[in-house]
Amino acid sequence: MRAVTILLDGVAYGMILFIISVGLTVTMGLMRVVNLAHGAFAMLGGYVATALTLKGVPFLVSCLLAGAAAGAAGALAEVTVFRPLYRKAELQHVLLTIGLCFIAIAALTLFAGSTPLPAIVPDWLDRMVDIGYRSYPLYRLFLIGVGAVMALGVWLIMERTLFGAKLRAAVDDAQMARAVGINVSRLFFLTFTGGCALAGFGAAVGAGIMPLEPFYALRYLVYFLIVVAVGGMGSFRGSLAAALLIGVVGTAGRYIVPQFGGFLLYLLVFGLLLWRPNGLLPPKSAA
Amino acid sequence: MKKTALILAAAAAVFGAAQARAEVVKFGIIAPFSGPFAVWGKQFKDSIDAYQKLNGKMVNGHEIQVIWRDEGAGDASKSRQFAEELILREKVQMLGGFTLTPDALAVAEVITESKMPTIILNAATAIITRKSPYFLRVSMTLPQIIKPLGEWAAKNGIKTAYTLASDYAPGHDAEDAFVKNFEKGGGKMLGKDRIPLSVTDFAPYMERVLQSKAEALFVFAPAGAPSIAMVREFDRRGLKAAGIKLLAGGEVQQIFLPSFGDSVIGTISSVHYTESNQRPENIAFRKALVDQAGPDTVPDMASIAGWDGMNLVYETVRALGPRFTGDQAIAFMKSKTYESPRGPIKFDPVERDIIQNVYIRRVEKKDGILINQDFTTVEGARDPWKDDNPNAK
Amino acid sequence: MSAIPQSKSDEPSALWHALPWLLALAFFFLADGYHSLGVNILIMILFTLSLDLALGYAGIITLGHAAFFGFGAYAAGLFNLHVSADPLLGLAAATLAAAALGLVTGALILHTRGETLLMLTLAIAAILHEAANHMRDLTGGDDGLAGIRPGAVFGLFRFDLWGKTSFLYCLGVLFVWFLISWRVVRSPFGRSLDGVRQNAKRMRAIGTPVWLRLVAMYALSAAMAGTAGALSAQTTRLVGLSVFELLTSGIVAVMLVLGGERRLYGAFVGATIYVLVQDVAGAINPFYWMFVIGILLVAIVLFFDGGLMGVIETARRKLRRGGAPGAAP
Repeated sequence: MRAVTILLDGVAYGMILFIISVGLTVTMGLMRVVNLAHGAFAMLGGYVATALTLKGVPFLVSCLLAGAAAGAAGALAEVTVFRPLYRKAELQHVLLTIGLCFIAIAALTLFAGSTPLPAIVPDWLDRMVDIGYRSYPLYRLFLIGVGAVMALGVWLIMERTLFGAKLRAAVDDAQMARAVGINVSRLFFLTFTGGCALAGFGAAVGAGIMPLEPFYALRYLVYFLIVVAVGGMGSFRGSLAAALLIGVVGTAGRYIVPQFGGFLLYLLVFGLLLWRPNGLLPPKSAA
Repeated sequence: MKKTALILAAAAAVFGAAQARAEVVKFGIIAPFSGPFAVWGKQFKDSIDAYQKLNGKMVNGHEIQVIWRDEGAGDASKSRQFAEELILREKVQMLGGFTLTPDALAVAEVITESKMPTIILNAATAIITRKSPYFLRVSMTLPQIIKPLGEWAAKNGIKTAYTLASDYAPGHDAEDAFVKNFEKGGGKMLGKDRIPLSVTDFAPYMERVLQSKAEALFVFAPAGAPSIAMVREFDRRGLKAAGIKLLAGGEVQQIFLPSFGDSVIGTISSVHYTESNQRPENIAFRKALVDQAGPDTVPDMASIAGWDGMNLVYETVRALGPRFTGDQAIAFMKSKTYESPRGPIKFDPVERDIIQNVYIRRVEKKDGILINQDFTTVEGARDPWKDDNPNAK
Repeated sequence: MSAIPQSKSDEPSALWHALPWLLALAFFFLADGYHSLGVNILIMILFTLSLDLALGYAGIITLGHAAFFGFGAYAAGLFNLHVSADPLLGLAAATLAAAALGLVTGALILHTRGETLLMLTLAIAAILHEAANHMRDLTGGDDGLAGIRPGAVFGLFRFDLWGKTSFLYCLGVLFVWFLISWRVVRSPFGRSLDGVRQNAKRMRAIGTPVWLRLVAMYALSAAMAGTAGALSAQTTRLVGLSVFELLTSGIVAVMLVLGGERRLYGAFVGATIYVLVQDVAGAINPFYWMFVIGILLVAIVLFFDGGLMGVIETARRKLRRGGAPGAAP
């Protein structure tokens, strides 16, 4: 039974990582942009959700609006700063997006101060429920549910729609996709916007576990990047697998050897990437 | 230093009756205003600005000017560089600030050589004040505030306990202080987990505590996102429902309480400043802070240190005038005894560490606001580490 | 566009080469009270220069160069505490230690590319960070490694409190490393890496041992970063855990691009401007220097390819053509 608890905890944590990171994996896979500002878009969503919830907007509505706000910010950024970036080298991406992070951190500090934000998870969600053998936090079950719905949604879009087919084609070979008449820059725009929206939504929903503060953009960035790299750039299934793996293995590791969690995670990442440089489940192009 | 003395002498000669003239006394503060510890710089600044707004910038006709430097994300080399600039270029007469231990240690040599009185506003590792005779600390040390909590727990019917502390030097110090005094009082430890700083999800640790069936849990994590996530997980996981008492230090300062739900009510903590205490000094302090920084401003450990540090600067200039040597200033400050908003404070004349009350408090809800209500006071608490390690350098 | 000057007439004159060093000497004599600032700038220049070798010239994308800076810093600190107080010996030991680390990790990871490589470098720095935090008995953990007291340079020049000796010491070390870099990037070895960066496949096809050359350059760059870290340990007399942080790696990359990659002097411009902006903006309003740096970065990447050094070069060329029209071909 203890194993079930660890599994639930790990999956719940993995699901937040997945929701926030899935947009990053698609943009990094599709556009080859090393986007270190992804955490900043997530953070922006979290801040919007907090502001709305404190104004009395219901939690779930605020989370959706947070996604919309982060998506809008992403759309704006795609058109203005990311588009000229696609042709440049990776280093330029790193730099520009670190710059965006700095700007976001400074701006949010200016508007909302440097203290962590108040909790927004409502009471009806933040309580214990009986799951048969013990009582368990409903919030974590909720995260698992939301994550599953999101994963299913993204999967349906990727596998069952024309848009998804075009997207997969472009991830595998952008040049070829362009040659057969797919409007790749429109795809870029839509995926980037969608990815940012998911990140904003994820940060809002997951605020109960990852508290929001101006340094959020950099504090959790490493985890998002790990999910993307371990899963395989551009691979939706890979990022789900990686997020769950990090969630479950990380949780179990901490449960069994509490002190060595930090080492374990990075050694695991290091080993995995040496073993499979293109990630666990890379898209065809990289295989 | 000969040069400075010459310049001073020349200046004195030129101005003749220098005593009568208005002068500017500069106080340089090195603290983080950006990066993960930015909140410290902001809290220092708010309370110091509030102090100057309330008391005016002049002391006996001499202006007290504060000069700020941002050392960012705890970068020791920046800290040392700023100390040098402030001393040589800005000609400050006192230094202050320092949030993290390495930042304070990095300036020890500089301030010793230049005999610069330096007021530590946070950096809490016990040994710091032994690294230079010009350090004076107005914050606290972790053993100082955690020892009373360990003793209290053992004395108040808690038989078994568990500790979760972040795996870095301050976490180790806090854990040691709690465990040592809890066991000395007859308590039994069921587990001592150290949590890597990179961890953001505390669920597995709370699960271990739950399984251990300990009666109480002591937690320590860096203030801010990590400590908030930790306490939230305690609430959410039903440890409270299972009858486990949460014991903490600065994790449940009032400033953080809005980050938790009502389930945080009942948490016991021990620190050197209770935000809601009704001393007249505290009421004046909080009013000044609200006037300066807005109606929602809540003071924390950083604010109270900034306020008391500034008070020491004012008192020094009031007593010694605008010109004083480092030795005079340190001798004056460490003999100072006064009523701070936190309660009566004085200094250990040898160690130059603050001696103050430590308050054991419980989180309660009053008029719809979560606050800490103190119910036990340990008077005149010293830093126990210094007493246990009289010769450590 | 290749940064290697196309023709002889494009080579900057001797005066240009002397300029940064003359400025540094002028700083030494004129900027009393700012020598520590100068020392920090020199150390960051050296660190940035090391990144230019790996990232700029060899095209090794890394977000973990702090690993070598930090390793060098701790090595120098520990050497000083446990072996010898001689600063140059300490510098040599730290440099070798960092080079060895670069060699080993480089050999492990340099068959990967792009984002994978980025993550591997990042993971190495993170592992070292965790290790240094854990070995508190050795490293002081979060309290920092204190008590470093370097002896006199050559047994003659004592480190004074205000960083004058430190400044000249760092300047000398930087000069030596600059000469080495200058020779390396102009050697056949350096030029072959230019080819590797642009098309590794083709280079492999014509028989260049690509992996070996990358590892060699990486180790050289690591050694230089280790020297920078050692200088930091010796002049600050303290090493904090933050030397291993992601932000440290990020900031040095920022400095490089700010100044312009593959230019050597780009490191000089980038590190100086970054530290000065941080200092000046920080003094005016400590809260928002991040804002200024952020805007600067976005602007540089979008509008000024080649960084500030690129701007300077363009201006210099225009100036020359405008000033001496007869000289134009």
